[in-house]
Formats: sequence, C-alpha cells, structure tokens
Amino acid sequence: MTALESAAGGTAVMDHLISFEVPGGELRFGEGDLDVWAEHLVWCYSLLGVAEGSTIAVQDFGTSPLAYLGSDLLMPSLERGVAERMGARIICLDASPERIVLTPEVVRQVKPDVMIVRADVLGLLLEGSKRSGVNLATIGGMTIVAACGIDAPPLPPGPWQRLLHVESSLLLAPQCTLCGSYHLREGVYRAHDGHIINLLHPDAALCEAPGLRVTGETCSLGPNDTLVELASRGGGRPA
Amino acid sequence: MSATAPQQLCDGGTYDEIETWSPQKLRDWQFELAREVVADAAESNKFYAERWRQAGVDATALSDWNDFKKLPLVSKPDLVAAGDAWTTRRGRVAFSTRGTSGEPLVVWLDGEESQTYFVPTMRGYWWAGFRSGETALMQSPAWHRLAAMEGHSVLKMGGRAAYYWGSGNPQYADYFVEAMRRVRPQFVTTTAPFLVSLLRRLGDDGVDARELFSSVHSMISVGLPLTPPLREHLSEGFGAEVFERSGTQEGAAADECSAHTAPHIHADVCHLEVLDPLGEPVAPGERGRLVVTKLFAAGDPVVRYDTGDIAELFEDPCACGRELPRLKIYGRPESSVMIGGRAVTAYDVRMCVDADPELVGRMVLLVRDTDAGPGVLSVAIEGDAHNADELEKRLGEDLGVEKVAFYWLGNARMAWGFRQVIDISEVQR
Ligand SMILES: [Zn+2]
Repeated sequence: MTALESAAGGTAVMDHLISFEVPGGELRFGEGDLDVWAEHLVWCYSLLGVAEGSTIAVQDFGTSPLAYLGSDLLMPSLERGVAERMGARIICLDASPERIVLTPEVVRQVKPDVMIVRADVLGLLLEGSKRSGVNLATIGGMTIVAACGIDAPPLPPGPWQRLLHVESSLLLAPQCTLCGSYHLREGVYRAHDGHIINLLHPDAALCEAPGLRVTGETCSLGPNDTLVELASRGGGRPA
Repeated sequence: MSATAPQQLCDGGTYDEIETWSPQKLRDWQFELAREVVADAAESNKFYAERWRQAGVDATALSDWNDFKKLPLVSKPDLVAAGDAWTTRRGRVAFSTRGTSGEPLVVWLDGEESQTYFVPTMRGYWWAGFRSGETALMQSPAWHRLAAMEGHSVLKMGGRAAYYWGSGNPQYADYFVEAMRRVRPQFVTTTAPFLVSLLRRLGDDGVDARELFSSVHSMISVGLPLTPPLREHLSEGFGAEVFERSGTQEGAAADECSAHTAPHIHADVCHLEVLDPLGEPVAPGERGRLVVTKLFAAGDPVVRYDTGDIAELFEDPCACGRELPRLKIYGRPESSVMIGGRAVTAYDVRMCVDADPELVGRMVLLVRDTDAGPGVLSVAIEGDAHNADELEKRLGEDLGVEKVAFYWLGNARMAWGFRQVIDISEVQR
C-alpha cells in the first residue's frame, strides 16, 4: 500500500448492497453508507447558497451522486436524501441528449430555484434553450451550478456557480459563495501532493489534481476546511 | 385501502395471490380500488374535482364500471395546463415524460406511491427469475419513475443492485462491458436499443457476448416493444432469457412472464383501457389508445388519462395460466406514419424486418417524407441492402403498403435511442 493509499483510508472491502460503476472505478455502499454522502451533498449545497425547501433540478446521469443522493425514493438503503434533509424537491433531468432537449420546457413548467448541470452538457443545454426561446441564465432567480471535473474544459460564459465533482473519487467540493475558493471539507477530504484524497470512502480513487493550490486562507463558512484553487481551466473564480 | 391486498406467495413462478384470481374477481376488486381513488380525487384534487363537476358526473359515488366510464378522458395538455391544481400532493421527486409529442409532462412521486409500486416491481422481477442473493445490474435509478422502484425492489428481495455508468446511449457500451466483467451479475435490466447496439458492438469487437454474459440467467428489456424474433435474437445472442417490461411515467406497469406472449398488467396498481377514437373499448384484436388509471390514492391522481400510446389488450388466458390481462404498447402516434388510412408503427415495420434472420436486430426507422405518394412507406434500415424484394412483399402483405422506399444506411452509425421516426432530410444528409 502506498502512502497515499494508506492516507485514503486503506482498501477495506465492505459487505455492500449497492454499487455504482463510474468512469475509472467502482463505488460500493453498505447499509447507511449513502447517508454520509447525502449529508455531505447537503453541506455542499449550503455553501453554494441553496436554501432549505428549494426545488432542485439535476441535469446529470442518474448514476451520478448528484442525482441518486437526491432522495430516498431514488435509492434503496438511503435513509434520507437531499430532498428529505432539506425539505427540497428534486427534478431528475438526466444528461442524455434526448432528455436535455426537454429541459427548457420542464424548467418553464416547474420553475426550479437551482439547477445543477453536468459541465459537459452545459453548452448543449444552453444551445437547446436558446432554440426554444428560454434564457436559462436569466430565468426568474434560478441559480445554475456547473458540476465540473478537475479537467473540465472552459465553461461557456455565464453567471454559473461551480461544484467540483469527480465521480471515481466521490469528490464533491463546492466553490464557496463567500470566499470564492473550493472547500475541501474537514474530515472528508485532504489535499496532498497534487492529489485530493477521500478520507471516508475506501473505494474512492485518488484524485489527481495537478493544478491544485492550497490557498492557506480560512473561511468562516468552514473554518477548518482546506481551501483550494485550481489552475486548470474549469476551476477559475466565478465570472 | 378497504379492498384487501393479495397475499404474497413466492411459490414456484407465482409471486402473489393476484395471479391466481379469476378475471371476475380481479375486475370486482379493481372496481373497489377505482371507486376509492376517484372519490379521493374528487375530494382532494382541484383539477379532477372541477373537471368532473363540469362533466356533471358524481364521482363520489360510482356504483359500477359503467359509472366509471362516464368520467371524461384527460390528456397531457390538460394536466400540463392544470399545473398546481393537479399536483396537489407535492411529491419529493419529479420525472418528465419524453414529450416527443409537444410538451413533456412533469410527474411527481411521493413516498406512499413509491411503496405502492414495490410489489408489482418485485412480481415482475420474480417472473423473470430474480431471486434472493443475486445481483442485478441496472441502469440509472433516476431516468424513469419505474426504474426508481427497481433498486428498492431488488434489495427487498434480498439481492444487490449495481448500476452502470451513463445513460442507455450506445456510447456508454464500454462502461457497461467493464461493469459486466467486474460485477458478474445474474440479472440485467436495460433498454432494448442498448441491448441491440451492444450485441452488434460486441460482435464488431470480436467479444463473445455469451461468454461476457455467462453469469446472467435473465434480462429485462425496457423502453421499446420487442418483436418476438428480436427477443429471440437477443436471448440467443446473450445466452440469457429476455423479458419485456413496459409502462408509463403516468402509472401503467406491466411485465412479461416466461410464456412471452405480451406483458401482464400489474392490475393491483393500474387499470388500463384501450379505446377507439370515440372513447369506446376496442374489439379484441384491435388496437387503440392506451388510457391509464392509477388504482391507489397516493401521489397525484391519474384517472382515465389518455397517454396517446397505441396499444392492444389481450384478455384471453396466457399459456402461463395467469389470467391477468396482457398489454402490448406499440408506440405513439408520432412514432407511426399513416399509410392508406392506417397508422403503421415502427413496431409493425420491425415485425416484417425481423422476420428475416439476416435482418433481425438491425436498427429500423420510419422516414417521414411528405413528398412520397400515398401508400408509399419510407423506411431506413441499418446496414447494406438485403432481400429488399422479399421484405417489400412482406410489408405489402402484412401492412397493406403499396410501395416501399428503402434507405439502407450502410455503416452510418446513428444512435437508435427511443426515436422511431426520422425526417427525410436526416437520411439524405
Ligand atoms: Zn403469462
């Protein structure tokens, strides 16, 4: 076991009930394990300024934690998902092209407060919206959060907030609305030598983050979190 | 609910008591459920209360199925326009219908309704051979309302749920193959177009599909109706029995038994009618429009909802011995073309194509071509031309088509997905 692997919590194999095959690995969950991550996602949303009781639309694959942690109705063994913890409502939009074309109309009908969009499909979504005459960027107070990987290509210009999201590492790190840096939450992740280490999930892959810079600053929204910035294209400060 | 729920049996191939009921007992029991649901909607749902008041129907006291049939049909535009007046129960999770015809309908799900679907889902999985201790490899829980209940049902049956990455688009085939190798599931649930393109892709890559699927005994195919030759082709190709599962986001749910005659309706959760354009039940052997009523007072009510799907009911006994009626959903009006005054669905054309063992499993799309004359069917078929004269003859005999314009797509890779009709401009590109 390398030092990094040992820092990542070892390679214990759980007696799992559920597994997700993700690009670059597999994540297994036993009874109650998903709740840890639902709680963490709620924490991410709170740093992104998502209010309790919000209606949250998720344009990502159903096998993304942004989708499946949404509610206990979606996932067995999840006691309380985001909807149950925040009194929120979740709209599953999926990230396949044939679903993305429906989004402008769904948004018009349901008027979500927040939309979490997989960064890869943000361009496609904006294009489709323009065609259907809906400007998502300016729709009545809706916040759009782009869920970006470490190497995400530059986002189209717009007032997007960002959530760092790497599936195989189960990395969910919000770009703070207060300090502008990404928060690596205390006790959940650690930055180490150009990597981000998931401290809680034994299956989580080490996340290579070559452009990672620990700012050394602190933020009152998470005084013990590690604040980082990414030199890579997807991770700049909010526009 | 005052009507007593059927007992769970899990005896051989039988999951629960409802499968042993006579058609009369089932109809009487369903009526009790329908009466409760309608009374609840009249009481608690603004949209339905107003709709029924306008129609002059006393929905609080239905006395028989004839009373039920007086309830007016509702359509997607009605529910979209009703908005909050229909979605009064404020479910926690929403899914949207595909919306190939106009606006998508957003359908909410709450906890009680979700629970109601566990039994039918477990019943369908049981029929397909899923048992405790097995692992099911499935597609995402969030892509369809019925899929959201599948993981729950698998765990309730003592199994494990594994999910492969991405959507049902063929571009995710590599992730699926990786998942197959790692998980070694006994059971797989995915979409029909994905299975078709996966089988071809494995062949192209020189991967032995039966070897890759050697741990799998059964597969559930969703999303598109299977023709019998296509089901055989997939079962043979993967070396696992394929079962068709069908349903709608608005509440219809049906699963195939091992006789594979058409999916049996889960009559404990939905009452399904197939009606002619005048709103009357079609004669046996005829197709009509699928109309759905959910049979439980949870979630937002769906009563006599005209889905627009073209479907057929089979009420004769199935070879499996179950008397639960069966339903085949063939497609939507927009996934069909009018030939000689008759709606020809993509399924009908696939029936003729799949009858040729050399053609079965190829992607088939209807081509909308306003310049083609009346009686001319335009159809795009993947791969090189093969036995076109014989196929044209079959299409003529079976569908009354006078002439066929074939567009052989060669190696052009098109994502089949759920699309069944394309425009002529897309073929000529
Ligand atoms: Zn049967």
